[in-house]
Amino acid sequence: MIAQLRNASPRREAVFMAVAAVILIALPWIMPYIGGYRELATRILIWGIFALGFDILVGFTGYLSFGHAAFWGIGAYCSGYYLLHANANALVAILIGVAVATAVAILLGYLTLRRHGIYFAILTLAFAEMFYYAALAPLQDWTGGDNGLTGIRTPELFGVKLDGDEMHYFVAAWTLLAIYFARRIARSPFGLMLRAIKSNETRLQSTGVNVYRYKVTAFAISGLYAGLAGTLYALYETYVPTESLHWTTSGEVVIMSVIGGFGTLIGPMIGAGIVLYLENVLSASTEQWLLIQGLIFMFFVIFLPGGVMEGLQRLADWGRKRHESATEAEARGAAPKGASAPTAPLRQRSQKG
Amino acid sequence: MSEDHTIKGGKTSAVNRRQFVRTMAGVTAGVGALSFSGSAPFHFVRGAYAQDAIGNFPVNGSTVVYGFNVPQTGSYADEGEDELRAYKLAVRHLNEGGGMLETLQPSALKGNGVLGKKVEFVTGDTQTNPDAARASARRMIERDGVIMFSGGSSSAVAIAQQYLAQEKGIIFMAGLTHSNDTTGKDRRRYGFRHFFNAYMSGQALGPILAKEYGQDRRAYHLTADYTWGHTQYESMKDSTEKQGWTTVNNIMTPLGTTDYSQFLTAVLNSDADVLVLNHYGQDMVNSLTQAVRFGMRDRQVNGKQMEVVVPLYSRLMAQGAGSENIQGIFGTTNWGPSLDDAGSQAFVKTFEAEYGQPPSQAAHTAYVQTILYSNAAETAGTFYPPEVIKALEDFECTGVGPGKTLYRGCDHQAFHDILVVRGKAPDQKKNEFDLLETVEQIPGESVKYDCDMMPGELGPYEPTA
Repeated sequence: MIAQLRNASPRREAVFMAVAAVILIALPWIMPYIGGYRELATRILIWGIFALGFDILVGFTGYLSFGHAAFWGIGAYCSGYYLLHANANALVAILIGVAVATAVAILLGYLTLRRHGIYFAILTLAFAEMFYYAALAPLQDWTGGDNGLTGIRTPELFGVKLDGDEMHYFVAAWTLLAIYFARRIARSPFGLMLRAIKSNETRLQSTGVNVYRYKVTAFAISGLYAGLAGTLYALYETYVPTESLHWTTSGEVVIMSVIGGFGTLIGPMIGAGIVLYLENVLSASTEQWLLIQGLIFMFFVIFLPGGVMEGLQRLADWGRKRHESATEAEARGAAPKGASAPTAPLRQRSQKG
Repeated sequence: MSEDHTIKGGKTSAVNRRQFVRTMAGVTAGVGALSFSGSAPFHFVRGAYAQDAIGNFPVNGSTVVYGFNVPQTGSYADEGEDELRAYKLAVRHLNEGGGMLETLQPSALKGNGVLGKKVEFVTGDTQTNPDAARASARRMIERDGVIMFSGGSSSAVAIAQQYLAQEKGIIFMAGLTHSNDTTGKDRRRYGFRHFFNAYMSGQALGPILAKEYGQDRRAYHLTADYTWGHTQYESMKDSTEKQGWTTVNNIMTPLGTTDYSQFLTAVLNSDADVLVLNHYGQDMVNSLTQAVRFGMRDRQVNGKQMEVVVPLYSRLMAQGAGSENIQGIFGTTNWGPSLDDAGSQAFVKTFEAEYGQPPSQAAHTAYVQTILYSNAAETAGTFYPPEVIKALEDFECTGVGPGKTLYRGCDHQAFHDILVVRGKAPDQKKNEFDLLETVEQIPGESVKYDCDMMPGELGPYEPTA
């Protein structure tokens, strides 16, 4: 996947983005055919941005954060607050929400990234919970307490009310931008550094690289994505619940990433789609939807730890092998046997990294 | 040859166009006539805007869909389940008659559906989470085309849905929500609450507490630190101080606290002789059982027996805390299955026959909300939301519970008799559901307050978004 990304030509990239654009814009029209509804598509894209940014941190550097609800929630509250008390300008609301969320991410990154593994996860969780409880009680005059931030006006973009389909196009545009930049980051030397951190941080440090700064930057970028998703969420819902800062929001994005496949960028977005679909469509037909969601999650962790993307990769490999063996059988004797062999080990190596 | 061809071609196309225009005119006229005959009564009787599309109005087809959005997972799942039972019963009574349809006065309901359309329903899971509740409501509104939705067992969830209702132009009939804000500062034109509120609990409870425990009591409050808790504390403080009580102190306890010992120690170290627990659900179960274990109820302070008060009771909480802990403890409820008025009994009997157990107050409010909405639509003669809202506003009726029920127009709060109850001792109860005894039935009139006491804006009849 990553090797493919690095080698992608501008033309292939353009084709990829065009296909992505078509899918993102068509999603509301596809939804009703699979038991969903149009506004669910917008919700999926918003969570998709969140999961995408989360993947830049977790999938690339390997630092599992349990506190990204903080950036999502802060983004949502800030832009919601702006819409509530200033005016309906969607772009300014987004700018403010993203700026504050990113600033908080940089600060938290500095404080938490000194620790690894479980300590890092717990630190991020603790900070996020601090924000949650702050919003719930001491700051409730500003946040509306557990009633949430209510009465937010419908946002506008150059005089156009963002509601229903307009909102979806607006979110789709941001999603495209988010995908584009995430893929640029993944291809860049900076992205390579992040993967180096994941494979062996100590080794990288001993070569004289300031690993800490790279980690903080990755953390800030994923915070920016979470903040962007949070602001879009506030714009879409015209309401911000305190639950947006709760740890369950962080947990949800982890589940999405696991189901979709860490480190693949697109995988977590697909994961967001699957989780939200289950949550919003399955829950209407059975009370036991949480049980089914749990089983699906366990299936992925046990049998497909690389998520949907690994599944797709395996399917593609299997198809190719079948095709190759068929071709080989046809051309037996004519071509040397191991002609197509080098591609397989190469792919395996790239997957590990 | 060529000329002939041209003429022929031109002729063909001209005939086609004429045919097309003629056909379309016919179709349009036909459709127009059909729609006129179908909607004429509403159109001419109900003002010029009666055909504007709002939310999921107009309702096409021979059925109308209601959405029941209740907690199916999480800590209030039991309440949600009971609400759902009541909703299903209400839908059956609307379609086939029976239950409160026979007791509601004045009533326009005929027991053949609503406005001649069969009532169907869809359900959703709020998870007692405002975000999930709104997502679920959006699905009902957009995919399932509901004309009204109802349910919930938390004020935050009710308020979140109420705002969505206003935005989408779909009426929301709130379920269990007790915070003053729901019909106070967060009241909405498209939201209606039949359940009572914290202020009414306080007003009902104050005089009875003074009568039972005396007027020179010193109260210590423990309050769940969220908006419902705050409004409950303010209301209790206000009403008990009116009776001459002193409020010693109040501690805000975080929502979801499991260990109350530090707060209870503070109570023990004070000279308070009444402990008021402004907690709901699991919070109340924990704080009350721990207070009993701390020996609160065996304590003598200022030469008086120490007492515990739980302003808002529910059957679920009483079951959770257990009879041995709640016996003799005062609180309030919106309704109780032991009430013997015709409306309550019609409901209790059909509910018990269907499910083999008595309904809870959550079930009652869910049932009544569905019936009152349907009656308003039938009275208005249309599902057009602004007309249904106007039919509900200041609607007064009997037969949905004890005494009169009034849906006040200025804040969409219903006023009706409420109950001051006391926990039964373990040997007094007849079955596992029989946990609370009614001490006094408080008339709705005596807990009424001015709309302006809790300022808020209902918003427009026609949604702006």
